[in-house]
Amino acid sequence: MSTIKILHMYADMLDLYGDSGNMEVFSYRCKMRGIECIIDKYSIDSPMPDFSAYDLIYIGGGADLEQQHISADLLKCKEGIAKAYKGGTFLFLICGGYQLMGKYYRDADGNDIPGLGLFDYYTVAPNSRRKRCIGNIVIKTDITGTPVNVVGFENHGGQTQGVKNPFGKVLYGNGNCSKSENEGYCEKNVIATYLHGPCLSKNPEITDYMIEYCLSRSSGEKVTLTPLDDKLEKECRTVMLQRLLKK
Amino acid sequence: MKRLQILIGKIIVKMLHLMKRNAGNLPGIVLWHISRHKAVSMFKVDCPIIAVTGTNGKTSVTNCIAQLFERSGKKIITNREGNNLDTGICSLLLRHCDMKGRVKADYLILETDESHVPVVYSQLKLETLIVLDFFRDQLDRNGEMETLIQKINGFCKTFNGNLLLNGDDPNTARLGRANPDNKNVKYFHAEPYDFATKTVFEASEGRFCPFCGETLEYDYYQYSHIGKFHCPKCGFGNYKPYITASDIDLDKPVFTADGHTFSPKLNSIYNVYNMTAVAGAAKIYNIRQDIVDSVISSYTVKNGRMESFMLGDRKTTLNLAKNPVGANMTLRVMNEMKGEKELLFVLNDNVADGLDVSWIWDINFSIFERVTRVVTSGTRAYDIAVRIKCSGYDQANIVVRPDLDKAVDELAKTPGRKFVIANYTAVQPTRAALKRYISRNGGKTE
Ligand SMILES: [Zn+2]
Repeated sequence: MSTIKILHMYADMLDLYGDSGNMEVFSYRCKMRGIECIIDKYSIDSPMPDFSAYDLIYIGGGADLEQQHISADLLKCKEGIAKAYKGGTFLFLICGGYQLMGKYYRDADGNDIPGLGLFDYYTVAPNSRRKRCIGNIVIKTDITGTPVNVVGFENHGGQTQGVKNPFGKVLYGNGNCSKSENEGYCEKNVIATYLHGPCLSKNPEITDYMIEYCLSRSSGEKVTLTPLDDKLEKECRTVMLQRLLKK
Repeated sequence: MKRLQILIGKIIVKMLHLMKRNAGNLPGIVLWHISRHKAVSMFKVDCPIIAVTGTNGKTSVTNCIAQLFERSGKKIITNREGNNLDTGICSLLLRHCDMKGRVKADYLILETDESHVPVVYSQLKLETLIVLDFFRDQLDRNGEMETLIQKINGFCKTFNGNLLLNGDDPNTARLGRANPDNKNVKYFHAEPYDFATKTVFEASEGRFCPFCGETLEYDYYQYSHIGKFHCPKCGFGNYKPYITASDIDLDKPVFTADGHTFSPKLNSIYNVYNMTAVAGAAKIYNIRQDIVDSVISSYTVKNGRMESFMLGDRKTTLNLAKNPVGANMTLRVMNEMKGEKELLFVLNDNVADGLDVSWIWDINFSIFERVTRVVTSGTRAYDIAVRIKCSGYDQANIVVRPDLDKAVDELAKTPGRKFVIANYTAVQPTRAALKRYISRNGGKTE
């Protein structure tokens, strides 16, 4: 039986808007195919893990306060995470997790919370807490090789700029900045996005892309997954696409 | 000036009354504007004021405390309709004051929104503050709960009145340290009930000591983060309870508080906590035991809060779940009942629901026991279906019927016990659909 090892970072602190649900969806889709899915947790003051031993590292989103709290701890992990990422470990990052991998996060008072600087983008919070990008969002991504309309819910104050390779094109909603064209950041082994919902709940192709990536990487050959019955997930997405995209 | 403002306010109340409109918030809002946000200080209140606040349960507790005093023959003023913001309280006082702004009553018992406690009671002298719990709401999960607690904590720093706190909620119990000089801090507490757990069961918050940052240790969890906790480092949580609920048996249901056994109507641990707070308030005010008894044993809620229906001969319980805590509680009540049952979950995503439905992922569906079928409905019927499926429930037993009448028909088509959970804007349409079914096919409402 093949195995995927996941490190879920700061699950106890970064879990807004059902982000932990992503792990539930991920392990569900593995289980249905007989793939073993081991999820280890890391939080503040856990012993330093061997990040490179994981197929996927997952970080969710949190409130500003919690984010400040963890940023100092995260910096301690910088070398380990950078090494794992360069070695091909998949990084799946939501909201706060997305922001913290960039250069910095400038909060509403103008203080910079340093990020890991793995990527060039940076995030600036608006000076008013009222100005948030909140609502349903639809983006079109090509990460899987076939265009997929991904539906989620965004709720962020931070405006992320300097993104070289966005995760998707915004069809409805705001994206990286308010009313922007693009959303998130991606590479073949990175998905960083503002999409909550949780993100994977209505978008099985994205989960399967990550599972295939992890299995192909560890086995050294291209793995194609057996399809699952995604009737409910697809119907769920269709309802939202019809509501949001049809004028 | 002050008189003029009160006069204007009263005229608005009168006009609304003549127009047969409910004078809920509007007069208060007007007064609030013309008095530059100092509206509450217009009033002269000489009687004691009791305020109840917290995320969940404040309406129930306020109503019960109001009854304690009413049945003791006191004249009380209370916001029964739940207008619990400063403007709502202002409207309430406008209706009950004379032209000089004097409010005449024996007691004012006010349900008060968490965020409005400091503003209202910096203007009115509070005698007793009861704080039930703090949970993150789906609408403001962005660190605003901490800001809210800080605000109330700021108020408590200079408050010397009775402070009755849920000692099993670290978010609430911490307020007891705000003013070390306050000799009137009291905690209510409950011993473990049958379904208390050693480890945390549902998504929770407040795992760290607010004073020293250490991870809190729990002897047991009752639900979510409510339970017997203490900080191993600084001792936060080691207090002597003012009143304790024990011998909790939800099957009957009964519980004992302060040596007296109560038989409430509602069989949830949640209600035990609320009623323990009520018993605590009764103890502070020396209410006669038989009155406390009659209030606690008769209290029940309608409007979709554990409301019973008969769909033909199928016994059905409807419960509102605005947030994961409420939904988890209902699932517990459902699980703890013997025998097989079917669930209808109605999920809407209207503005009042917060648009976002991701909170359903904080509901622990893996605890399902003897749930033979699930029907889902509402504007986000598929979202809840997917959520339940991914918890490991066989999708062959999930039926999606976005249309409510069709969903109720589907639910009632098989025999046996039924449960219905509906979120905020779904609950009234769901009640209506259940009643339509009953009028077409027989059965009865509570
Ligand atoms: Zn401590």
